[in-house]
Amino acid sequence: MIVYLLCFILFLVGIYGILTKRDLIKIILSIGIMGYAANLMLILFAYRNNSIYPILSEGKAVSQMVDPLPQALVLTSIVIELGTTAMLVALALRLYEKYKTFDITKIRRLKG
Amino acid sequence: MNKEPGMTLIVKTVTRISVWLIILYGFYIIFHGHLTPGGGFGGGVIIALALLNVLLAYGKDFTRKWLNIKLLENFESSSITLFLIVGIIGMAVGGSFLFNFIDKGTLFNMLSSGTILPLNIIIGIKVAMSLFLVVLALAAYNFDKGDEQ
Repeated sequence: MIVYLLCFILFLVGIYGILTKRDLIKIILSIGIMGYAANLMLILFAYRNNSIYPILSEGKAVSQMVDPLPQALVLTSIVIELGTTAMLVALALRLYEKYKTFDITKIRRLKG
Repeated sequence: MNKEPGMTLIVKTVTRISVWLIILYGFYIIFHGHLTPGGGFGGGVIIALALLNVLLAYGKDFTRKWLNIKLLENFESSSITLFLIVGIIGMAVGGSFLFNFIDKGTLFNMLSSGTILPLNIIIGIKVAMSLFLVVLALAAYNFDKGDEQ
């Protein structure tokens, strides 16, 4: 149970970063931390005590293994996170190109 | 101090030696994707990071001259068509998409996975090229122009 609470605390660290930081790059990193916390939670749901990883290799006895389905799901999630992070970085670079700053309090000429 | 773009001579020399080793490791991860942890996505990311190493050390102008960017774009576009072709062949042979039509071989051999190995190679090419081209497109921004605050 304590690992799920620690995972949720990691998610809260991401939310704290999004709400309080003013630098666009730090906000993007906070969104990444939130994504990692969600992925870690899914992996922790699939974990079982005294289990092996779900890959059959030579000379290894078949025994109880962790659930491989959330791991495959999380791999897809990591790929989507990569795409969203690339898009956010591209948007931040466009803003820097126009305003010469990453500070969101100084980006205020959004009209006209 | 020096006018040429990129990082210092030490970084350039280390990059010149290590980039081929990193690419070789990426190919190892791709080709052993059905035997050990890893696979097309992980190996493709490693290959893309090797090319990004060159981009960081030498600068974008050298990278555009060293690599044939148009060829990489063609690889990136055609790899997903190859994936579709493998799937359609499975549909023609066995009746379902991505049906295994290659001999499975013996377990734990290199050729023991049927169509998974070619699909891993295709995915590796796709991931490596698209990840590298995304960062190359991000590096193409010109920060000199644009109005001041």
